[in-house]
Amino acid sequence: MTEPIIIAEQISKSYGRKQAIDHLSLTIEKGSVTGILGGNGAGKSTFFRMITGLVRPDSGRLTVLGEEPGWRTNSQIAYLPDRARWYGNYTAEQTFDWGSNILPGFEKSEALRLAELMNLPLDLKTEGMSKGQEARLMLILCIARSVPLIVLDEPFSGIDGSSRERIIEALIDAISEKEQTLLISTHEIYEVEGLMDDVVFLKDGAVQLTGNAEKLRTEYGSIYDLSKKMGD
Amino acid sequence: MDERQVGSLSFSIDFSQPLYEQILTQMRSLIARGTIGLGEKIPSVREMAHELKINPNTVMHAYQELERDGLTEKRRGQGTFATTSMMKIKQFKERFALEYAQDFLENMHSLGFNLNEIHTYLTRLSQEKGHRKND
Repeated sequence: MTEPIIIAEQISKSYGRKQAIDHLSLTIEKGSVTGILGGNGAGKSTFFRMITGLVRPDSGRLTVLGEEPGWRTNSQIAYLPDRARWYGNYTAEQTFDWGSNILPGFEKSEALRLAELMNLPLDLKTEGMSKGQEARLMLILCIARSVPLIVLDEPFSGIDGSSRERIIEALIDAISEKEQTLLISTHEIYEVEGLMDDVVFLKDGAVQLTGNAEKLRTEYGSIYDLSKKMGD
Repeated sequence: MDERQVGSLSFSIDFSQPLYEQILTQMRSLIARGTIGLGEKIPSVREMAHELKINPNTVMHAYQELERDGLTEKRRGQGTFATTSMMKIKQFKERFALEYAQDFLENMHSLGFNLNEIHTYLTRLSQEKGHRKND
């Protein structure tokens, strides 16, 4: 089952004088859960925007699902951007109807199941939601889709403990039932510690360390502890 | 070290060690010691993954190894159960007992101890352990 779904070869991107991505090379395996870790400004969000074609590399080559990122690949990717927001006057259920019409692979029945699992009231308008409820809604829009690749940028930021637990459970189901490839960037490593198959540490837009989570544990201890060491 | 509960079973998960081996070792022990009885249903992969907050594939790989050990068997549409055969559990325990004993003996022999001396150590240790239990 070693079939790559993302291949980055020496990709670079700069914004003015800031080198956001610096000759980054990396392969993501199909069906894996990969944690993209690193401090602020390490290049995680920029890398995710490149995967979804929102940002093009200045140089190097990026292949996603066998081709260059663009509208064709995006129909097969569910992407949760950092700082995701939703329209205030839609209820959760109306949002799911919107998803059924617009988002390829979106299954409303799955969204309703997830909403129940994650304790999200269907008749609640987004403007009346807590930050945690809105984050759960955004996440459901992603993981209720039968697409091969799910990209989640900081899915836990600003979300309380019980919502986090529900999100983790929903992700566990997504991995086991749909064989989806999952890319997660997060500062909350403890939450996803047991979920990751592979780990990529980014620093200054390049790979600092990467490997199989179980092997890294044998060598360095927990990923959480390792991330602290990497940050120093 | 995290203590976590799956139904009536307790697991301790140490994230600084590989998770697959922890699941496998603890499930083996639960079945070998009879905490999970003969023919009893074991938690589903999903249940384990949810409660332990770990990747379901990790649980699945450990479960596949349990099946190869002869400790569990799948029943179609019903899930996975501990073996109903006392014989299989005995065979499994014997396999490991021999392995562990052999490793132990080799280590002791390599330090130059003879069987008599080794026996003395074992007696002393088990007495100390007995004392501690009585405290």
